[in-house]
Amino acid sequence: MRFIFVTVRKELKRRFNDPGGLISSIMIPFAIGFLIVSVMGGGSGASIKAGLLITDLDDSFISQGILSALGQDQVADMILLEKVSLDEGDRRINEGDGSGHLVIPQGFGKAWLDREEIALQLTVNPSQSVSPRLIREMLESLLDLGDYLHKVFGGELKIISQSLESNELVGISTADFSTNITDKVSGITGLVFPPVMEVEDVTPQPEGSSFSMGLLMFPGILIMAAFFAANGQSSNFWTEKEKGTLGRWVASPNAFSAFWVAQWFTAMLLTAIVAAPIMLMGFFYFDVSFEKYFTSLAWLALTGPVLFALLSLIQVLAPSRKAGSVISTLIMFPLLMVGGSFFPTETMPKFIVSIAQYTPNGRVVEPLKGYLTGEYGSSGMFSEIWGILLVTLLLVLLTGALSARKALV
Amino acid sequence: MIEVRDLQKSYGDLVAVNQVSFSAGAGTVFGLLGPNGAGKSTTISCLSGLLKPTAGSIRVGGFDISSEALKAKAGLGIVPQELAIYEDLSARENLAYWGAAYGLKGDKLKQRVDHVLGRIGLADRAGDLPKTYSGGMKRRLNFGCGLVHEPAILLLDEPTVGVDPQSREHLFELVREEKAKGTCVLYTTHYMEEAEKLCDELAIIDHGKIIASGTLKELRAEFGGNDIIQLSGSFEPARAEQAVTELNGEVLSLDTDTLMIAIRDGARNLPAILQGISATGADIHDTRLSEPNLESLFLKLTGTDLRA
Repeated sequence: MRFIFVTVRKELKRRFNDPGGLISSIMIPFAIGFLIVSVMGGGSGASIKAGLLITDLDDSFISQGILSALGQDQVADMILLEKVSLDEGDRRINEGDGSGHLVIPQGFGKAWLDREEIALQLTVNPSQSVSPRLIREMLESLLDLGDYLHKVFGGELKIISQSLESNELVGISTADFSTNITDKVSGITGLVFPPVMEVEDVTPQPEGSSFSMGLLMFPGILIMAAFFAANGQSSNFWTEKEKGTLGRWVASPNAFSAFWVAQWFTAMLLTAIVAAPIMLMGFFYFDVSFEKYFTSLAWLALTGPVLFALLSLIQVLAPSRKAGSVISTLIMFPLLMVGGSFFPTETMPKFIVSIAQYTPNGRVVEPLKGYLTGEYGSSGMFSEIWGILLVTLLLVLLTGALSARKALV
Repeated sequence: MIEVRDLQKSYGDLVAVNQVSFSAGAGTVFGLLGPNGAGKSTTISCLSGLLKPTAGSIRVGGFDISSEALKAKAGLGIVPQELAIYEDLSARENLAYWGAAYGLKGDKLKQRVDHVLGRIGLADRAGDLPKTYSGGMKRRLNFGCGLVHEPAILLLDEPTVGVDPQSREHLFELVREEKAKGTCVLYTTHYMEEAEKLCDELAIIDHGKIIASGTLKELRAEFGGNDIIQLSGSFEPARAEQAVTELNGEVLSLDTDTLMIAIRDGARNLPAILQGISATGADIHDTRLSEPNLESLFLKLTGTDLRA
């Protein structure tokens, strides 16, 4: 165990003795991220729209009210509505076409007026993280609004319900009905429409309701930092082999697997070192709460080295350093592209999104994105960490076994 | 301290080391002498656990290198042929790391690092990165990394390749000091003079096989008291060889420019030899008379020069 510690310390010293390499590891992902964010409209520019498919089986004035509410003003900026038949909605959401499919069942309007139990059916696209949350929150807001309407206008709504079949108000004149509503509106005006006051001009940033392209790309930029740290550390195998230090190492009285475990731990620390300044700038730029800083950094440092483990395996399987470098590039760049590291999955075609969730970097990026955008708490983000660490450990052990057999014996 | 029995290492059909056996004790320098590609480095790699022998057994410090690898390795110090040092760590950091790799820590580690830095003549450059060193300084650091943990057995694989004369003498001195301390040193080289200067016992290896072994005195006795005469000039090989045979000498090597002969009482017989060879039409420019050395022994045993 002590030897692992000694080796990690040695590796870090080597990196710090080459500050140029370390700085470029920090600057390259930052520069790439900056360019991509700039090209795609800047950090506070383009917003993501959630595609919501709606099947209105009720076709009542209540259900149409929901459609109308979801299609208005600021909500319309975030949610793109499309009315579809039940079959088409089912088919398209199953194909991943759309962020969600909302089915308003027949009798919904009547049941809501009578305060009877009835369910809206919402199916969301599991390959998207932010848009389904937008839709869910918007619907919950609408349902809350409906509940308040019942509390304030309960009597009037009951009358409306009773009058639906006869097409005229039951037990009350139209004038009285209107007066009652006007009185109630007047009564709550002070609460609903507070007195005009002078307010400070601020940019509203309701958490979770709007996500800039830059923020969605930010976790991908961070995983690029992890990738650059991992790439350097995995090719260290060839450096040590060519220099003869690996041979000297194997001739020492230490288990060979300790070498790879030390490299793994080094990759964790390097990931943290490289990502820390990028994360700091990103948190500041995207106005992410700094309470999330160390948790995010810990997540990236612990899970990012899954890329190191994968790259190390590639290097050990490759016949030469050059071949290892070429194969790594051929595998890793498509992985980074597909896994949402260059472009967020929210902007990708559905078939690529369905692949992204199976990429190692996708497994790291999406929970981090959910955490940064407020979709998950830290416990939600860390819920999958054991799986990632297990995969990393298995890859490291496999790499150790193969390198011992291939390179030295 | 080192006991090698019937060591064999094959790569497919290629047999790199074939039935090699030797042993070396504490306080001795055992030389493995042979040309490049003879199997010296393969033997050392098997001894240090870098290669798994195809057959045979190796015991290092009383431990089997295959079944008790970690115990065997704990007493070994390795100085590989290539410069196995970290160019991006200072000399002190290199030594400290390799010392720690063998379990040294704290004050003991620091003392050993300081001591070795002094011995290899790098105390005043201890904080510099090796990329600023000369080739000889890097060699000395490579050497120091192998002995920082005070190994009982030191494996030196051609440690003076590419080293300037001054650094070479420095390394020889280090080897002698290790020997004086009781360290068992295994020294591979293809330089005859190094083997003659340093080694108490020798094994001459060629094409993976030991073709002669013993002390320098024992190996010289292979010539049965003959001296070596080397002539330079121009020769008619067939006639020159016949003349040597008539003079009861043995041709060790012969071409149109040089002739090497092993012959009893070389000094006394030299005039007759020169006369006999000249009579064949040879034009002799230079003559050297010497005692048998490893180079002439290798020539006698293999019929070829020691390939450098």
